[in-house]
This record gives sequence, C-alpha cells and structure tokens, in this order.
Amino acid sequence: MKKTLIKKGAEADIYLTNWNNEKAIYKKREPKEYRNLILDIKLRKHRTIREAGIMHDVKLFGIHAPLVYFVDTKKTSILMQYIEGNLVKDLPDRKLVKICKEIGRIVGRMHKSGVMHGDLTTSNFIIQKDIIFLIDFGLSSRTRKIEDHAIDLRLFKEVLNSAHTAIMEQGWTNFLQGYKSIVGVARKNQVFSYVSIIEQRGRYATVV
Amino acid sequence: MLGLGIESTAHTFSCAVIEKKGTRSKILSDVRSIYQPPDGQGIHPREASRHHVKNAAIVLSECLQKAKVKVNDLDIISYAAGPGLGPCLRVGAVVARSLAFYYNIPIYPVNHAVGHIELGKMLTGAKKPLLLLVSGGHTMLLVFSLGKWRVFGETLDITIGQLLDQFGRFAGFASPCGKRIEELASKSCNYIALPYVVNGNDVSFSGLLSAAKLEISKGLEDVCFSLQETAFAMIGEATERALAFTREKELLVVGGVASNKRLAEILTSVCKRQDCKFFVCPGYYAGDCGSQISLTGLLESSVKNGVKIEDTFVKQSWRVDSVEIAY
Ligand SMILES: Nc1ncnc2c1ncn2[C@@H]1O[C@H](COP(=O)(O)OP(=O)(O)O)[C@@H](O)[C@H]1O
Ligand SMILES: [Mg+2]
Repeated sequence: MKKTLIKKGAEADIYLTNWNNEKAIYKKREPKEYRNLILDIKLRKHRTIREAGIMHDVKLFGIHAPLVYFVDTKKTSILMQYIEGNLVKDLPDRKLVKICKEIGRIVGRMHKSGVMHGDLTTSNFIIQKDIIFLIDFGLSSRTRKIEDHAIDLRLFKEVLNSAHTAIMEQGWTNFLQGYKSIVGVARKNQVFSYVSIIEQRGRYATVV
Repeated sequence: MLGLGIESTAHTFSCAVIEKKGTRSKILSDVRSIYQPPDGQGIHPREASRHHVKNAAIVLSECLQKAKVKVNDLDIISYAAGPGLGPCLRVGAVVARSLAFYYNIPIYPVNHAVGHIELGKMLTGAKKPLLLLVSGGHTMLLVFSLGKWRVFGETLDITIGQLLDQFGRFAGFASPCGKRIEELASKSCNYIALPYVVNGNDVSFSGLLSAAKLEISKGLEDVCFSLQETAFAMIGEATERALAFTREKELLVVGGVASNKRLAEILTSVCKRQDCKFFVCPGYYAGDCGSQISLTGLLESSVKNGVKIEDTFVKQSWRVDSVEIAY
C-alpha cells in the first residue's frame, strides 16, 4: 500500500493512501517512546477500537463521519474514508461564527444518541461544501451522563476562548442555540449548569 | 530601574531585587525562607503565615544586603497579590505596603502565575511559547492571545502538585513531596496500572490519587514510579495536543514541578515529535520566588503607574487568564 504522511496529529500519524481506487486516510497510532510501554499499548489499542466502533455508530444517528474501511488492532491503525475539505479551525472568523450553530446541532444529536466525543476541538470538524464531518473519535465513549456531556461542551468553549478569541462570545452563543434546538431547553440548561460547576472547580481550586 | 519583589502566596516567603535596564533584567538577589510543615502533614495557612511574619524582616534585610541596595534606592515595590492562601498573601502585602508608604515608593500588586511565566521567559529567552504551568496551585496550558494568557487546557480537579503532595503525605513524607517521589520512582521500572484520564486538552488527577493510595502496599518505589509515569504521560499528551493544535514552535515549562527530570524527559520527547523548541525554567527559579514578582512589577511599571495604598489588595483566587497584559 503506497502512502504519504500528511499530518502528525496529537495522537496519530495521518497518511493519505488509496482504497479501491478511492482516496483514503490511514491513521496510525505509533508507540510514544515517552510513555511507559504497558500503558502505551493499552491506550493505543483501546482508542483504536473505540474510534472505529463509535465512528461507525454515529453515522446511524445522522452524523457525518468517515466510513471505516479496515481496523487493525495489532498495528493500532484505521483505514477510513478521506474527507475532502477544510478544517473548521482554519475558517475565517465570520464563517466560523455561523458554523458554530450547526456544530451545536451535531453535538446535540450525538449526545441525544448517547455518545460523548471527548475531543471537541475545531480541528476535529471538516467542512465539505455545506456538510460538516466529525472525525477523531479516539476519546469518545457511550454515555448519557450530564457530567460527561458537559465535559464536551466545556472543551469546545475552552477552544473558542483560547484559539478563536475574537469570536468567542458569539460563537458560544450560537453553539448553545444549535445544541438547544436538538436536546431541548431543559437538557441544555442541565448540561450548561454543569459546565459552570466544572469551571468553578478548576478555577477556584484552593492553592496548597 | 530597581524593583523589590515580595512573594508569600503559599509555603515560601521570598524577597528579590532586580535591576532592569531597557529590555535587560538582572537578578541582584533572591532570598527565601520556606515553611516546613511536620512530616505527613499539609501546609496549614495560619501556621505558614506565622512563619512568614517571623522571617519577613530577616529575608528582606538579607535580600537588600546581598543586592547592595538600600530601601531608598528602590524605584518600585511589587508583591504577589494572588492567587494563594489568604493569611500568607496578607503578610507579603503588609510588608510591601509598609515600605511603599513609609518610603513613598510606587507599589504594584502582581499575579503570581504571571510572575512564573515572565521569569521563565526572561531566563530561557523563549519568545512566543506555549506555556505549561505545573505547580502546587496550577496545572495549565496557556497560549497568549489578544492581550491575555488564555487557558488551552487545565486540570479538571486537583493540580499535579496537589497529586504529588497528597500522595506523599499519605505515605508519610515531608512536604513538599515531589523530590522524594522522584527519587523513589527512579529506583523502579515496574509499572502498576493506574487510571489515566485525558479529556481533550484537559486532565483529571483525582481518580489517579485514590488508586495510587490503594496500591501503596504493593511497594512504595513501584507506586511512586507508576504514579509519575501515569501523571506525567497525561501532561505530556495534553501538551502534545496543544502543540499539534496551535502549531506553536516553542514550549516553556514553569512552576515547581518543572524541575522534575522525568517530566522534562517526557516533554523533550513530545517537542521532538512536534518539531518544537523546548525551554524549561532553571531549577532554582522554577519554584516560588521573589524574582518572579519583582520582574513582573518592573514590566508593568513600563506601561502603568503604581496603585494607591488604599487600592492595594489580595485575591485568593485571582485567575491568570483574567489579567490584562499591556506591556
Ligand atoms: N478522514 C479524514 N479525512 C481527511 N482528513 C483527515 C481525516 N482524518 C484525519 N484527517 C486530518 O488529520 C488530522 C489529525 O487527525 P485526527 O484523527 O484528528 O488525529 P489526532 O487524534 O492525532 O488529532 C485532522 O485534523 C485532519 O486534518
Ligand atoms: Mg484531532
């Protein structure tokens, strides 16, 4: 299989390759030399299985995610559909603000179906024409807990604040609006108030 | 310009004098006295503040003597106004206020975390780094954007310093426990599985702390080793995520835990993979010290006047990401 390295992600090396004459992505979690070997193998294996499984599942809930072609748990690699498009992270501010609402809807749909993503950053959404794809499910899990869903929301907020500072307020408002339109006011309020609880926790940790 | 800095946010009472000429700064003296709680016990705010009161005068006069300056020579006085323990913060503030008032010297309240950052930048020469702040009070990844340090990732519960100290105290070590844990860890390579929790850019240590305590009977060296391996790998991963996302080309580590060799080793490897320069604040200045406060006050004085005595304050939970940086 001919493949070209196109990205060194946080976790994995990302290669562009071919599968049945279609462009494909080969995502390989290489050993991290700094991590204890036992811990490293456990994490890579676990995340590869999680990612492939949940990436497949969410499509049943109407969320756009790459098709999974092949999973190798020994090599901790996944072969998946290549998604042509731009990272939401790299969009100009005025576009990003608008898209936050649709992202809110996608996250709402995912949560409503009992899945948390675990790494909701703007580098894990790819926009293709007007369809938004969600990728990178290595930290995802099946859960309906308010606390877990709140962790997703808080991370998205943190990323807006630190990486898209200029549009943070409006982007966050739009996100919540989209989210609410799917999960309903009551659930949105519950998750939202838990976001504040998490923030307070880190924020006012007593300094000892 | 000559600036005196007073640090008293937690266990350390420290005074330092820095001379700033244009963009160059030189530490003339940095004197400390560190409160030592009884073995197996944590820092008690009131006891620590008593220690600070008792040692303040000695530390201050030794600091001036070493720098060969008199109070009258000082252009500004800065003190750590937070975040920290109330009773401890108040000691530093009182000393600063008295001097500023009596000698009529401009006074600057300084954020302790910003102090760590500025001193780290000055000593390492890092220009525009992603910042990792690891100490008793903080575990944070910060990026500078639109006039403030913004939190890119942080702990969702206890800090790395609290994890190490609370585990160490449970094992009966003297606080702070980081050095002892590092020593014991270096004698083992037998990994016991412990909870590893990374949520996107954030980490959580409370589950790791409870589990490590439960495993203590399996051998102290093995547990110390496994605790370090797990906690530092979590920090390494969060840092790598931040580097991959921001594409920053420099990483700077500051705070007391920055002096841990194993953590530095892990971060070096992270930086290599992400093609990034690695800077770590030199050991002696990584932990709490007057220099961090003095330097930050001097930087502030280039864009701001001091505050009125009646407007000086202490703020126990003064978030680093709420501080406007204008210089
Ligand atoms: N299926 C895909 N199609 C197109 N690009 C992809 C695909 N999967 C990953 N990428 C690119 O690679 C980057 C890193 O991949 P990701 O799965 O997020 O790995 P990591 O866990 O290392 O962040 C993404 O931000 C994206 O730019
Ligand atoms: Mg990713």
